[in-house]
Amino acid sequence: MFWSNALVIVVLAGAAFILSRQRAIAVVEGNLGNLHSRPGYHGLYAALWTFLVGTLVLIVLAGLLSIWTDRVMFDALPEDSQKLEHIQQVQLIEDAKALAQNEIVSTANNARTAEIRAELAKVYRSWKSVQAWLVPIGSIGMALAALSFALGQVRPRFRARNQSEWVIQGLLLASAGLAILTTLGIVLSLIGETMKFFSHVPIYKFLFGTHWSPLSGVFEGKINPDSVGAIPLFTGTLLITLIAMLVAVPVGLMAAIYLSDYASATTRAWAKPLLELLAGIPTVVYGFFAVVTLAPLIRGAGESLGLSVASESALAAGMVMGIMIIPFISSLSDDVINAVPQSLRDGSYGLGATKAETLTRVVLPAALPGIVSAVLLGMSRAIGETMIVVMAAGQGANLTWNPLAAVTTVTVQIVALISGDTEADTAAGPAFALGFTLFCITLIFNVIALRIVQKYRQKYD
Amino acid sequence: MPTTVQQSKPTAAENAVPASDAPISIATSDAAFKDASKPASQTQDATAIKMRGRNVNVYYGEKQAIFNVNLDIPANAVLSLIGPSGCGKSTFLRCLNRMNDVIDICRVEGDITLDGHDIYDPALDVVELRARVGMVFQKPNPFPKSIFENVAYGPRIHGLTSSKDELQELVESSLRKAGLFEEIKDRLNEPGTGLSGGQQQRLCIARAIATKPDVILMDEPCSSLDPIATAHVEELIDELRANYTIIIVTHSMQQAARVSQRTAFFHMGVLVEEGDTAQIFTKPQDQRTQDYITGRFG
Amino acid sequence: MTKAEPIMPGNVSAIHSAGSVHKTDDATRRLRQRYAFEARFKMLGLLAIAIAVAALAALLWTVVGNAVGALRQSYVRLPVFLPAADIDPQATNDPQVIRSAEFSGIMKSALRSAVPYVKGRSDKRKLYALLSDGAALDVRAQAMANPAVIGQTKDYELLLSDDADLWLKGYMGAISELPHSGSATPSGNKGRVKITAGANAFAAILQRVKDGLKSQAADLRKQAAAQQNGVTAYQTLLAGSPPPAADILQRYQALIAGFKSRRDGFIEQAQALEQSAKSSSGSMPISSSLPSFFVRINGGVIKAQAVSSGTLEGEVIFPLSGTDTAENSQWQLLTINRSELARRISDKQAIWLEKLKAEGRVSSIFNWRFLTDSNSREAELAGVWGAAVGSFWTMLVTFTLAFPIGTMAAIYLEEFAPKNRWTDFIEVNVNNLAAVPSIVFGLLGLAVFIGLFGVPRSTALAGGIVLALMTMPTIMIAGRAAIRAVPPSIREAALGVGASKVQTVTHHVLPLAMPGILTGSIIGMAQALGETAPLLMIGMFAFIREVPIGVLEPATALPVQIYQWSDFPERMFNMKTAAAILVLLTFLVVMNGIAIILRKRFERRW
Repeated sequence: MFWSNALVIVVLAGAAFILSRQRAIAVVEGNLGNLHSRPGYHGLYAALWTFLVGTLVLIVLAGLLSIWTDRVMFDALPEDSQKLEHIQQVQLIEDAKALAQNEIVSTANNARTAEIRAELAKVYRSWKSVQAWLVPIGSIGMALAALSFALGQVRPRFRARNQSEWVIQGLLLASAGLAILTTLGIVLSLIGETMKFFSHVPIYKFLFGTHWSPLSGVFEGKINPDSVGAIPLFTGTLLITLIAMLVAVPVGLMAAIYLSDYASATTRAWAKPLLELLAGIPTVVYGFFAVVTLAPLIRGAGESLGLSVASESALAAGMVMGIMIIPFISSLSDDVINAVPQSLRDGSYGLGATKAETLTRVVLPAALPGIVSAVLLGMSRAIGETMIVVMAAGQGANLTWNPLAAVTTVTVQIVALISGDTEADTAAGPAFALGFTLFCITLIFNVIALRIVQKYRQKYD
Repeated sequence: MPTTVQQSKPTAAENAVPASDAPISIATSDAAFKDASKPASQTQDATAIKMRGRNVNVYYGEKQAIFNVNLDIPANAVLSLIGPSGCGKSTFLRCLNRMNDVIDICRVEGDITLDGHDIYDPALDVVELRARVGMVFQKPNPFPKSIFENVAYGPRIHGLTSSKDELQELVESSLRKAGLFEEIKDRLNEPGTGLSGGQQQRLCIARAIATKPDVILMDEPCSSLDPIATAHVEELIDELRANYTIIIVTHSMQQAARVSQRTAFFHMGVLVEEGDTAQIFTKPQDQRTQDYITGRFG
Repeated sequence: MTKAEPIMPGNVSAIHSAGSVHKTDDATRRLRQRYAFEARFKMLGLLAIAIAVAALAALLWTVVGNAVGALRQSYVRLPVFLPAADIDPQATNDPQVIRSAEFSGIMKSALRSAVPYVKGRSDKRKLYALLSDGAALDVRAQAMANPAVIGQTKDYELLLSDDADLWLKGYMGAISELPHSGSATPSGNKGRVKITAGANAFAAILQRVKDGLKSQAADLRKQAAAQQNGVTAYQTLLAGSPPPAADILQRYQALIAGFKSRRDGFIEQAQALEQSAKSSSGSMPISSSLPSFFVRINGGVIKAQAVSSGTLEGEVIFPLSGTDTAENSQWQLLTINRSELARRISDKQAIWLEKLKAEGRVSSIFNWRFLTDSNSREAELAGVWGAAVGSFWTMLVTFTLAFPIGTMAAIYLEEFAPKNRWTDFIEVNVNNLAAVPSIVFGLLGLAVFIGLFGVPRSTALAGGIVLALMTMPTIMIAGRAAIRAVPPSIREAALGVGASKVQTVTHHVLPLAMPGILTGSIIGMAQALGETAPLLMIGMFAFIREVPIGVLEPATALPVQIYQWSDFPERMFNMKTAAAILVLLTFLVVMNGIAIILRKRFERRW
C-alpha cells in the first residue's frame, strides 16, 4: 500500500512537469524569448516540489502513525501483561499484528495469551484502517497542494531554473551530509547498546578481565559480569595481527622496493597486476585456503618436528592474513618511496653509493614516516578482519602468546554472539561493546597514521 | 654587455694559468702522479691534466645532445663551462662522474679518462669513480639527517675511517674546508635541512669533500643562493682548488671570470672554444663566443 | 691514448693514483662487500615477489584442485517401473497429484532389481544409501512433465549419493589387483566359504596383512615414544635445582606416572601386534582396521576375513555360480588400499558399485545441477543458484543506493561546497569511514535498520543497505578524483557562455567524469560482492532453500554460502565450496575486467 501510494505521487510529479511546462509556454503565448527560464525548468520546478512534498509527507505520516500505533498497543496491554519482560511484551504485540493480518501465528501458550492477543489485534486493526485513509489523503493531498502552488508560480519573469537548481543543490548537500550521518549513526548505535551493557557490567571488568565465556552463567537474561573479561580476545587479536605483520611488512616493503627500483618494465608489467589480484580476492576465499591447505601444512610440519600444533593455530590464521595484507602494504609503500625526490637519490649516487646503500640509508629513512603510517593502517586492517579468523582461528578464549595454539579474536566473538543461538537481547550487549571497542581502536590507529604522515612529512625543498 | 674581467676580483686572474691558444699537451702518466697538496701558485704543476675527454658524443634516445667534444681538464685548477641554457654543459658535466648512467635513455660515446684511465671501462667501478669525482648540485640537496650524518655518509659507505674518532675528525676537517665549521660547530646534530640556502650548499660541498675526491664537479652551485652566500661559495671554490680539481658549470660569466682559470664555451652541444679565462673574455677567437660574451644571446 | 696500466677484466679498482685513498686492498675488499650487499638486497626483493606470487599460486591451486572433484557427478542408469497405482491411481495426469506421490519406494525397488542378491535389512539399507534423494526428485519431475511414462518401465539416470560419487572418483581409495598363483576351489557359493588353493596362493594378502600389523605396531611405538618424551621432560624438571616445591613435586610425579602407564600400554599393544605378525602358521584374521581383501572367482566376490598361505575364509558378497575349481587365470585377488573404517563406503557398497560400473551402467555427467539448484543439506544436491540470485538482488540494492548518493555527494563536495570547516570535517569523515572494518557496518545495520526501522532481517534489502553504506565512501573518493581530473578550462568555457553552475556540472563536467566514476563504482561493487562479515551480522547466514524473488524475501549471498558450506564436514561440500569460490571469482574477474576496459577506452589524457 505504501508503494502504490508512492507510485501515485511519482505519477503526480510527472503530471506536474507536463502541466507546468505547457502553462509556461501558454503564458508567453509561444514567445519563448520572453521567458526567463526555459519551459522545461518550469516543469522541473513543479515536479520537484510535488515529488518532494508528497514523499516527505508520506514518509512522515506513515512513520508517525506506525509509532503511534505501537504506542497505543503497548498502552492497551492489560495490567498483568505490564509486568512481563519487555521482550515478551514485544512478542505479544508482534503476534497480535500477525494475527490481525491473517498471517501464520504460533499457537498461544495458554488461553489468557490468546485472549490478550485477540484484544490487541482488534486495536491494531482499527488503527490500521485509520492509516489506510489518512496516509494517502495526507500525502496525495499535500502533493496536489504543492502542484497547484507551483503551477501558480508560472510567470514570464519567474526564475524557475534558479529555483530548481537551488533545490538540486540542496539534494546534493543532503547526499554529502549522509556521510556524516553514517558516522554519527555508527557511533550512536554502537554507543547506545554499549552504554546499556556497561550499565550492568562495569567497564573495568570488561577491559581488564581475563575470563571470557559470555554465555556461561547467564541468569534471567543477564550476563555474568565476571565472564566477559575481554583480555584474552585482545591478546588473541594482537598475536594474530603481529604474525600477519611479520609476514606482510617485509614481503610488501621489499616487493615495493624491488618493483620501483630494480625491476625491468616487463617484470613490473606482470608483477603489479598479480599483486592487484591478491588484493581483490575476497577474504572468505583466504579463509578457505587457510583451513584447507595452510593449517594442515603447519600442523604436519609442526608434528614432524615433535611440536603439538592446534588445527586452528594462530600461526595459520596469521600467515594467511599476512598474505592478504601484502598488496596493501606494497602499494602504500610504493607511493611513499616514489615520493622521495630524485634529488636526494642523485645526491647519494653522486657520492658513490650503490643502489642498495642509497635505498637503505637515504630513501627508506626519508620515507620512514610514510612506511610507519602504512604499517599502522595495515595493522588496523588486520585487527578489523573477520572472515579469515572466523574460519581459521579458534572459538575458545585462550590467553597465550604461543603461536601454535588456538586463540580467538574480537571479530570472531562478535560473529559468534550475533549469529549464535543466544537470545538477541542478551548477546547484543557484549557484541556491541566489542564492536565499539573495535571501532575506537581502528579509528585511533587511522588517526595516528594520518598524524604521523602530517607531522613528520619531510620538507624536501 | 662590457667584459668585466678587469673589474672583477683580481685574485683569480692573477693566479691564472699562462695563456696559450692550443690545448695543453698530453701529459705523461708520471706527471699525473702529482702531489695534490701543493698550492696552485707553483705553476709548474699547472700543465698536469686530470681528466680528458675525446670525441665525446651524448644521445638522449634519438636526440643527440653533445657533438664530438674534446676537452682537457687541468689539475688543481678551476675550469668553468659556460654557454646559453640547453647547450649541453650540464650534460657534459654529468658524463664526468657517470651520473648519466642513472638516466635510462642516455647514451655516452667516446673516451673520458681520469688520470689516464677510461672511466667507462667495464672493469672500473662506477661507485669508486664517484668517490673520486664528487658532485655538488644546483639545488642544495642535504639528506634529511643531521649535519654530522650528512657529512659522515660518504666516509661511512666507503669505509674511509676505522674508528669513531677518525670519523669525527674527518667530518670536522671537511666542514672546516668548506668554511662551515665555525658557524655550526655546536649544532652538528641538528638536521641539515634546517640550514639556510648558502649553508646547505656548503654542507653539500663538505659532504663531497669528505669522500676524499680528486675532482669536484659543480653544477651551477650558486644559482639558488643569494649574493652573500654566493660570495662565500666562490671564495670557498678558490681556496679548494689548491687541493682539488674543480669543474664548474655556470650561467654567470662574471662568476666564471671571477672564479676560474680556464673556461670552455659550449653552444648547442658543441665545444666552441676553450682556453685561458682572461683570454676568452678579452680576446675570444670564435664569433659565437664573442656574441655570447657581448650579450647578443644568452 | 696511452694508458698507465692495462685494465684487466675483474680488476675492480684499476685506477692508481698516489694519495688516492680509494685504491688500497682494504678498499677493494670493502667494495666487494658492498656489491655483495647490493646483490643480496636485490635478491631479497626478488624473493619477496616470489613469495607473493607463490602464495597466490598456492591459493588458486587449492581452489581449483578442490573444485575439480565437483565438476562431474556420477549417475547410474537403471530400469525403473512407475506403478500407476502408487502414483496416480485415478489417472488424472495432474502434476500436483503426481508431486505428492511417494517415489522413494519406487527407487528402492529399482535398486533391488538391479542388485538382487542383497539380503538382510542392514545390507538393504546400505544399498539404498547408494542413491541420492535427488534421484527420486528427478524421476518425479519427469513423471510430472510427461505423465505418459507412468505405468511403464524405462531406463532413467539416477543420481548417486555423494559418498558413492566420491568412491567412483577415487577419493576414498581404489581397487587394485594382487598377484596370485595356482588354481583355487571354493567350498560353497554363498554365505561363509573357504577357498583352498596351492601353497602361497594367497601370499600377497598374507604379506600385506603382516605389514599392516607391523605398521600399526610401529605407530603405537611412536606414541609410546611421545609419552616417554613427557616422562624425561618432567624428570629433568624434578632433578633441576633448586628442587621444586612439595605440591608441584606431587603434581609432576602424578604426571610422570600417567605418562609411564600410557607408554607401557602402547608398548604392550605394539608387542602383541608384532607377535601376531610374526606367526607364520595358521590362519590370520583380517581386522577391519587393515585394508580390505577380496577374491573374485566363478563370477562372484568373496571378502576375506581370515587368511593363511594356502587357504582363505570369507563372506560371499555376491554369489558364485558354482563351486568348480577355477584355473589360475580365472580367479583374481583384489584389494582396496584403504581400510573399511577409514572410508564412508563399506566393502559391500564398493563391490556393488564396481559391479554396476562393470555392467556399463555408471556414467559421469557434467554438474549442471550445481549452477541451477539452490542450497541443500545433501552434498550432491547443493547448488549456488539461490545464493547467486540473492547476491544479485543485494547488489542491485547496493548500486541503486550507493551510486546516486555517492556521486551526488562527490559532485557537491568538489563543485559546490565552500572551503570551510564543515567540508573538511566531511572529508575527514569519509576517509575514516573508508577504513572502518566491515563488521562494524554490519552492527550498524543490525542496530539501526533492522532494530529501529524494522527492515526485515536476512533480506537482500537489509544486506544491500549495509553494503551500500560501506561502498559509498569508496564511490565518493573515486568520484571526487574523477571530477577533479576534469580540467578547469572546460568549466570556465561553459561558464563563459552563460551556463549556470548546475548546468556546467550536469552538461559538461559530469559526462566527462562519468567513466572514472563508473570505474570506481564497479570496483567498489566488486569489493562489496565479496563481503561476508556484514551480511552475517544482519542474519543472511540462515539456510535458505527457496530462490528469493525481490528484495524483501529471505536470501543469502554467494560469499555467505561459501562460508556456510566450508563448515559442513562432508568431503563433497569441500569441493562444492571450492567450485562456488570459482563462480564468485569469475564474477569478480568479469567486473574488474569491465572496469579496466572502461578505464582504458574512455581514459583521456588532458
